[in-house]
Amino acid sequence: MATTEANILNRLYFVAGSMFVFALAVVFKLCTIQFIQGDEYRALAEKRSVENFDIEPNRGNVYSADGSLLATSIPKYDIRIDAVQAKDAVFNAHISGLADSLSAYKGKPASYYKNLIRKARSNKNRYFLLARNISYSDYIRVRNFPLLNKGAIGGGLIVEQTTRREHPMGEIAARSIGYERVDSNGDTARAGIDGAFGAKYLRGVKGKRLKQKIGNGQWKPIADYDQVEPQDGYDVYTTIDVNIQDIAHHSLLGQLEKYNAEHGCAVVMDVKTGEIRAIANLAKTSKGTYYEKRNYAVYESHEPGSTFKVMAMMAALEDKVIDTATVIDTKKGRKMFYGRPINDSGKGHGKISAAKTLELSSNIGLATIVDEHYSKKPKKFINHIKRWKLNDSLDIPIVGEGIPDIPEPGKSNWSKNALPSMAYGYNLTITPLQTLTFYNAIANNGEMIKPRFIRSVKSFDKNIEVFEKEVMVDEICSNKTLLEIKDILKNIVVRGTGKRMYSETFSMAGKTGTARTNYANYEEWKKKKEYISSFAGYFPAENPKYSCIVVIHKPIVEVGYYGADVAGPVFKRIAQKIYTDTPLIDAIETLNFNSNVVDEDFESYFENSRKYKQLMPSVVGMPAMDALALLENLEVKVKVKLRGSGTVKKQSVERHKKLKSNQTIVLEAL
Amino acid sequence: MIASSHSADNKVHEIAKLTNEVKELRSAFVDGRSKLMRLKKESYMEVVMKEKNIGISLNPPVKIRVKSSQE
Repeated sequence: MATTEANILNRLYFVAGSMFVFALAVVFKLCTIQFIQGDEYRALAEKRSVENFDIEPNRGNVYSADGSLLATSIPKYDIRIDAVQAKDAVFNAHISGLADSLSAYKGKPASYYKNLIRKARSNKNRYFLLARNISYSDYIRVRNFPLLNKGAIGGGLIVEQTTRREHPMGEIAARSIGYERVDSNGDTARAGIDGAFGAKYLRGVKGKRLKQKIGNGQWKPIADYDQVEPQDGYDVYTTIDVNIQDIAHHSLLGQLEKYNAEHGCAVVMDVKTGEIRAIANLAKTSKGTYYEKRNYAVYESHEPGSTFKVMAMMAALEDKVIDTATVIDTKKGRKMFYGRPINDSGKGHGKISAAKTLELSSNIGLATIVDEHYSKKPKKFINHIKRWKLNDSLDIPIVGEGIPDIPEPGKSNWSKNALPSMAYGYNLTITPLQTLTFYNAIANNGEMIKPRFIRSVKSFDKNIEVFEKEVMVDEICSNKTLLEIKDILKNIVVRGTGKRMYSETFSMAGKTGTARTNYANYEEWKKKKEYISSFAGYFPAENPKYSCIVVIHKPIVEVGYYGADVAGPVFKRIAQKIYTDTPLIDAIETLNFNSNVVDEDFESYFENSRKYKQLMPSVVGMPAMDALALLENLEVKVKVKLRGSGTVKKQSVERHKKLKSNQTIVLEAL
Repeated sequence: MIASSHSADNKVHEIAKLTNEVKELRSAFVDGRSKLMRLKKESYMEVVMKEKNIGISLNPPVKIRVKSSQE
C-alpha cells in the first residue's frame, strides 16, 4: 500500500476517532460514578473515615442541703497488663518489684501475684486484669509500680477508663440518693432521688459531632461546631442534711445490731417545710452485717400498730364522742370483741381516762372507744382517715412507693372485727413515711405538708426550678383536738410508754409502737414471736422543729421488743444531736457595767504604776496577777518569783526600797 | 492547606490529652472530697476522739448575745 496523503489522513481520523470514543467513555464513566453511583460511593467513603459521634453530656450532681456532694460521676479505672509485651530482660528484672507492690496494695502475698503474672505470660495472655474499678489516686499509684511504669510499649500497661456514679458519702443514705442504671435489655432501673430525677434533670441531652479519622486512633472534627450541642445535666439539691443523716444512720445501725433485727428505717422531717433531713434504711445481710437494701420508709406498707392509735384517738376527739377525761373500762387486760379477744400487755389498767389509754397504749382502751362510737357508722371513722389522705399514697417522686390498704365496708377485708382492730393499728397498712407525714402535721399545728426530697434544681449557680412546700391538708383537726393530742404525746414520754426515753435536758413528744407481725398462724407465731417496734413523734415538744419516725422490724425478742426500747433510743439520739447542735442563746442587756469597786481598784493600780518606776511598791493585798504586771512594767528590769496563787501576802523586798537591775523579788501568795 | 490540616490534627491530640487531664483532676477532686467527708462525719469523730476520752457533749453550747451596746 502506497503511502498516500489520503491514506495517512484516514489513519489519523481512525486514531483520533478512537481517542474521542475513549474520551467519551471516560467522561461517561466519570458521570456514572459521579451522578449515578455517586451517593453509594460517597456513603461508603464517609463510613470509612467520617463518623457521627455522640457527645455524652455530664450527668448532674446530687447535693445535700448544705452543699456536700451526695452523688457525682467520676472516671474509674481498670488496670490490665499485656503480659507478653515486655521483653524478657525487662520482665524478669521487674516482676518481683511489681508483685511486691501489688501485695502491698491488695494484701495477698507477693508470691501469689508473681505466679499469676508469670502464668499469664506463659499462656500468652495479653489482657490480664490487675485491678478493677479503682479511683484516680489509686490509679496514679498503680501506674507507678515497677514494670507498669514502663508504659504500654515497654511494660504492657493497659488502662481502661469508664465513668461511674459515685456516692462520696458511701453507704450513708445510699438507697435514697439512689441511681439510674440501664441494663442490657435497655430497661432502666431507677432508685431513689438520682433515679427519680434522672430523666428530667440529671441526664442532660446528648450532642452530636461529625468527625474524620486521623492517625493514632483519633478522630478530627470536620466542622468547627457541633452538629448538636450536648447539654450537661442539671444539678439536684436535695433536702438531706449530712450531719443529721450521719447520726440517723449510725444510731439506727447501732440499735439494729444490738437487737439483731431484720431491717429498719429512720426518717427525719423538717416540721415547717416538710423537707426530709435524713432517711436511713438498713437491712441485714446473710452475714449479719447491715446495708442500705431497700427504701423501706417509702416502699414498705405495713401494719403500723400503736402509732396509729393517735389517729383513732384524734378521730374520736374531733367528733366529740369522747373527751380526754372520759372514763374507759380497759378491764383486766383482756376483753372480747365479737367473739375475738383483744389483749393489753401486762395485767390491764382497769378504769382509766381516755387520755391515759393512749399514754399507756391500751389496745382495749382504743378498741373500746372506736367500737362503742363508730360500730354503727364505720364510714364516719373511715372518712377521717380519708380526709387525712392516709388511704392513698403520698405520690412522691421516688419510684416504688408503697400503697396503703385501709379497709372499709364493702371491701373484702372488712368485718365486724376490722373496726376495733383498726383502732390500735391492725388490719390496715400504711408506710412509715405516711405515719411521719401525719405526726408532722400535728407538730405543724394541723397543717399537713407533703414530704419533700429536693429543694432546687440548678445549672451552676442558676436556679432552673425551685420547689416550695406543698400543703396536703390545711387543717387536720380543730385547735382543741390538736392541743389535747399534743399534750398526750408529750406525756407519753414523760410518764407513759415512752418514759424510759425521757430526758431532763430536752423535750420530745411521740408515740411508741409495738406491733406483732406474721401472726396469721397464731400458734406458729407464739413459737417464734416477731414484732415491729416503732416510735413516731417530734421535738422539741413545745415548739417542734423536726418530726421523726423510727421503725425496726423483727428485733430479737429475748433482748427486747418494745417500741420505747428498740426504736426509741434512735429517736432520742437524733433529738439529742439536734438539741446539742443548736446553741442556747443567752441575751444580756449590755457589756458596759459601772462598778465603783472596779473603778477604784483600777485608779489605785494606775496611780501605783505611775508613781513607782525605780522604787519597790507595796503589792501586799493585791491579786498576784496585778502585782506581776506592775513589777514587770517598772523601769528597772527585775525578776519576779511567785509562790502560790491568789492574793499576795508577802513580798521579799520592802516597800519604797530602791530596786537594782536583775534583782529577784519573791512574792508569796495564798 | 496541608500545614493547617496538620496543625488542626495536633490540636485534636492536645484536646484529647487535656480532656483526659480534666477527668483525672475531677476524679482526684471527688476522691479527696469523699475522703474529707468521711473524716469529718460526727460518727467517725466520735470513734477517734474516744481514744482521748473526749465524747459528744450532752449540753449545747451557750451563745451570749448583747442586746444593745451603749456608746
